[in-house]
Amino acid sequence: MRHRAVILIVALAIPIAAWSAEPASPPPASQTQAKGLPYVYTNWKHITKADGLPNDHIFAVKADGPRVWIGTEDGLACLDKRTGEIRSWVYKDENKDGKEDTGGLPWKVVTAIDVDPKTGDVWLGLFGGGLARFSAGRFDHFHQLNSGLVSDVVYGVAIENDNVWAATTAGASRYNPKTGQWTIFTEKNAPMEEIWNYGVAYHKGKVYLAVWGSGCLEYDVATGRWKEYLDPDGEMEIDLHRDDGIIHVIVTGASPVDGALWISTYFGTCRYDGRHWRGFYAHETGLPSDFTNNVKARSADECYFAHDKGLGVVADFPTESVVAYTRDPKTLRGVAKVYQHGKHLYTVDMEKGVPHNFIIALDTDGNDTWVGTSKGLGWAIGTGYYAGVKENPEWLSKAKPAPSATASAK
Amino acid sequence: MRYRLLLFAAALLAAAALARAESPKPGDAKPADWRPPFEVDEETLKVLEESYRAGAYGTPNLPLKTDENYAHTPRDVEPFRGTPPHKRHFLEQMEYTGPGRAIPEPAEVKTVKIGFIGPIEPTVSVATGGKSHEEALGIPMLRGCQLALEEANAKGGYLRRKIPFELVVKNDNGLWGSSGNVIIDLAYKDEVWAILGTIDGANSHIAIRVGLKIEIPMMNTGDTDPTFIETNIPWVMRCIGDDRQQCYLLADYLYRKLGYKRVAIIRASNRYGRFGVREIRDASRRMQNPIPVEMAYQLTTEDFSLQLERIKASKAEAVVHWGDADHGAKILNQMRAMGMNQPYFACDRCCSEEFVKIAGKNAEGVVCAYPWNPDRKDPKLDAFRAAYRSRFNAEPETYAAHAYDGMNMVLWAIQVAGLNRARIRDVLAYRTKPWPGVTGDIRLSACLDDIGEVYLAKYEGGRWHYYSREDLQIPRGPQRAPGDHGEAVAKD
Repeated sequence: MRHRAVILIVALAIPIAAWSAEPASPPPASQTQAKGLPYVYTNWKHITKADGLPNDHIFAVKADGPRVWIGTEDGLACLDKRTGEIRSWVYKDENKDGKEDTGGLPWKVVTAIDVDPKTGDVWLGLFGGGLARFSAGRFDHFHQLNSGLVSDVVYGVAIENDNVWAATTAGASRYNPKTGQWTIFTEKNAPMEEIWNYGVAYHKGKVYLAVWGSGCLEYDVATGRWKEYLDPDGEMEIDLHRDDGIIHVIVTGASPVDGALWISTYFGTCRYDGRHWRGFYAHETGLPSDFTNNVKARSADECYFAHDKGLGVVADFPTESVVAYTRDPKTLRGVAKVYQHGKHLYTVDMEKGVPHNFIIALDTDGNDTWVGTSKGLGWAIGTGYYAGVKENPEWLSKAKPAPSATASAK
Repeated sequence: MRYRLLLFAAALLAAAALARAESPKPGDAKPADWRPPFEVDEETLKVLEESYRAGAYGTPNLPLKTDENYAHTPRDVEPFRGTPPHKRHFLEQMEYTGPGRAIPEPAEVKTVKIGFIGPIEPTVSVATGGKSHEEALGIPMLRGCQLALEEANAKGGYLRRKIPFELVVKNDNGLWGSSGNVIIDLAYKDEVWAILGTIDGANSHIAIRVGLKIEIPMMNTGDTDPTFIETNIPWVMRCIGDDRQQCYLLADYLYRKLGYKRVAIIRASNRYGRFGVREIRDASRRMQNPIPVEMAYQLTTEDFSLQLERIKASKAEAVVHWGDADHGAKILNQMRAMGMNQPYFACDRCCSEEFVKIAGKNAEGVVCAYPWNPDRKDPKLDAFRAAYRSRFNAEPETYAAHAYDGMNMVLWAIQVAGLNRARIRDVLAYRTKPWPGVTGDIRLSACLDDIGEVYLAKYEGGRWHYYSREDLQIPRGPQRAPGDHGEAVAKD
């Protein structure tokens, strides 16, 4: 009887294990690309309200040494990577007068974060609440009525030398906390056909504004000159040529690094190396979608895109290697699909991947990557990370070859 | 021992099941009271079911709307028609892929709030550099909304909970992106379920950018800027024919029907004028009749002689005006005073009593593009007119009528979907049947824009007469054949 029971347990355990783990069969050696394959994040952690975040709707994430600052729809949080401890700050209006309590987080919706490397001050873009500086445990509040901030609807923040830039819905503002001087940039003094700024980034003497309706604008800090990057065809309903310039003028983010400028739009993404443009559409690359909320480049060859249908990564530009991370809506397991030249090569099934497919915010952090979604923060842990491609990477043992490695991406 | 082993086996099973199915489960079950409080068609029920089934992680398993070509653009008016574009946008409906469908309904609400943003109070205007100028449009828009909402409340309000609807009204003062702040206040402080507005193109753009981030349905009933909808935002819909549709009809009338070759443009130097004429300018050039001169005027000016002298010198056969009614009428009067007798065409804002009052007898023969046919025989329209007159002691015009339709669409969606912004969005976005509005059938395209018929209004014998394309036998440009997308093949 005892033996029969043991047999029953074993008989039960085998299919259960198979069902829950779904181990992949090793791929045929012939399918390993000669050029090698890109890195795939297979170790993910999810951080949500249950872990101490004030809200699961993540609008901004910024890694700063051991700290990770997280802007949500209902407050600010700071995660200590070493201990896992999360501190949070929420907007309080105890006397219900419509104004924040003195010294507290000035408004609940935190849409942008940057950290001043010189002072350690944390600058927050508040969606409808202006700009805040978090320093020495105190929040200082800058808004339309007490400063030169052009609008309280702030989408992006970036530190440029001693200045803080804010991308707002009615132009960009630059603030120098040392001198107290504010400068406003709108259609009056910058080449903004529209003034609806969406993002701002600083890199090596240049500020890049992502402007909805005006493409990407580059501001040379030394000369004060502007340069425009626009869609050459000038039409909203088409992209005439993919690689002739920006994919579309409704630009949502710009990420300059190592001589390359990566750009996201609601219509696709693109890269500029100072001489050549290259556009990326989902149907040609394997990226999860064309609708792209944000962009964060790790290098001139590697870039992360926040799509509405998953996390898209151009993992190695020269080999056109793309990894698309999604969450299966039925099993809730993580999925990573690896493409080269638009061809789907492998699928990696993971217990965890991105927390949700609607990706909003990104930051790279050494070998790790932080992924803010509309339902939690994802921490992609880059154990064994490598740039570019390599042969027979570790993840390959967990991967399944695509049904037809020669089939097109979608 | 046997029982302990069996218990262990059961525990194994349960643990494996738990490991696999993380909470919350995808496709959470519908609540018991998911059905709408009144009869709806099978398609709507299916949309609602699928919207619930999608849960936090999925999307409704429903076909997305697709269009053969964007906005019924004639083949010969398409941009760069000699070169197939690498990619065409707006041909497939945008999905909302966020977790909003799984947000539970609030336990307690006293009223169901709907936001309104429109120009209803005088203020300083960036566009005019002085006094604001769109209250004449915004106030009827507000009234149309109020009427729809009051009628819904008279029928029991929000039927699922038997509580009234409430309109939260905000002025669109148009300064420094203030419409963005207004949308934030409406969504986060007033906690409205959907928002209707606004009219100014720039302010509408700012509003929908904010709406996208907040994830709230945005119904537009008064901004005819073509680019408003060309933004790929799955939360935005519009129930009025835009300037693109109106320009296409006007261009067909000017060139395919009347055979003009030289048509001049005079327009307001603001976003409405700049974007309004874009399609007629492009269509003219693409139809081999380039615009000989396009003149812009400041909104503060009363003297248009500079612009008109240039137009006169261009030997234009006809003149198209895009701007507000008062400017349109004053330009017309100055034209006639200067001996310029060219036929005068204008945008829908000039099809108004104000235009006629200022233009006087010069109004005779003027033709305006118009987004609907107010002469249409329809009991719904008659009832709306009677109710509006009774409530406001005024004649309902185009902004009132479209707002009434848009608000009724929103009210219907809230009644059907319940208090969940994503589901409210879904029942409108996935609806394939036209909405039977007082302005006519409202058919939303793949990018959720009204692509129903637009009209030409002619001032004849002391009143405006409305004509369809068919009425005037205006030829239509060649359309794409089904399946002909003209796509370029991507080669790496």
